Amino acid sequence: MPEWVEIIIRTLATIVALFLITKGLGKKQLSEMNVFEYITGIVIGDIIAVHATDVDSNLFYGVIAAFLWFIIPWGAEYLSMKNKTLRDFIEGKSTVFIQNGKIMEDNLKKERYTIDELQEALRDKNIFRAADVEFAVLEPSGTLSVLPKKEYRPLTAKYLGIEVPPDKQPETVIMDGKVLHEPLANLSLNVNWLETELDKLNVSIENVFVGEVDSDGQLTVDLYDDKIAVPSPTEKPLLLATLKKCQADLELFALATENEQAKQLYQKNSKKLKSAITRITPYLK
Amino acid sequence: MTVGSQVKGCFSSIKSAEATLSLLANKTQDQQTKEVFENTQKILSEVKEDLQKQVIWLGTEESQYKF
Repeated sequence: MPEWVEIIIRTLATIVALFLITKGLGKKQLSEMNVFEYITGIVIGDIIAVHATDVDSNLFYGVIAAFLWFIIPWGAEYLSMKNKTLRDFIEGKSTVFIQNGKIMEDNLKKERYTIDELQEALRDKNIFRAADVEFAVLEPSGTLSVLPKKEYRPLTAKYLGIEVPPDKQPETVIMDGKVLHEPLANLSLNVNWLETELDKLNVSIENVFVGEVDSDGQLTVDLYDDKIAVPSPTEKPLLLATLKKCQADLELFALATENEQAKQLYQKNSKKLKSAITRITPYLK
Repeated sequence: MTVGSQVKGCFSSIKSAEATLSLLANKTQDQQTKEVFENTQKILSEVKEDLQKQVIWLGTEESQYKF
């Protein structure tokens, strides 16, 4: 057998083996949760590479070695799912670097981190003063997780006391100009509805690159032809404007009328509408 | 424009808003949002009924503008 034929066979065989191994190890391998997993990935790659190109080596031995490098980390991960002590041993524990705003020098030394490296890691998180940090921990994967002090944390709606309506994930209903039926059905909508909405936007489905529907049933599209301007959804802002206008009208009527009974009626309804508007405004934004 | 026609305009705006709300309430996937829309719709229908009475009453008052 000429050598180049053998190389082809070896390469094809190792590609299949590598594909199966990476499928078996799963996505976690990619995120390199700890040093062991990181090195496992490198070693498997190396074994495969050597046996694909080196015609003097025994392909069968290579497969055995790669299989062992697959099955042992896989087994270790399986066992560590069952047992916390084993998990701490295999996956490693995180090390606290800053607690209650104070740097733990001993822990830094244990992980062989200098203060320069700690500061560098903090800067990576956009923190330029160690004093701004409440809590920081070095994860087994080697990344530093930082909890800034309360006053340095980003503002949230809860902190500001703003009411925000709940929302769910948007669904993609059109892709490459074709309707995706399953997500559409998940939203309990149908193709007829989609066609009506597209008609409202004055676009044809063939021209839509991607179309998404949010949890409130608003359709937004991106077109192949970027010169065409697509109007943004107006239903909700229009509704809010209508409600506000009606409320103002009622107030005006209450001021204009001289009939006491009618005045009270207008005022009552104006107040009702006003409270309804306050309640619904976050949902219409 | 007479007061009657102004109130009538407001009345029809409310009606349209009510319809839009019921549409939104049916389209949304979220239960809480649905409830808010439905409650608002209820308030609007109360306002609408009051206004309807007013429209009728104004119609009798302003009968001279009818032709």
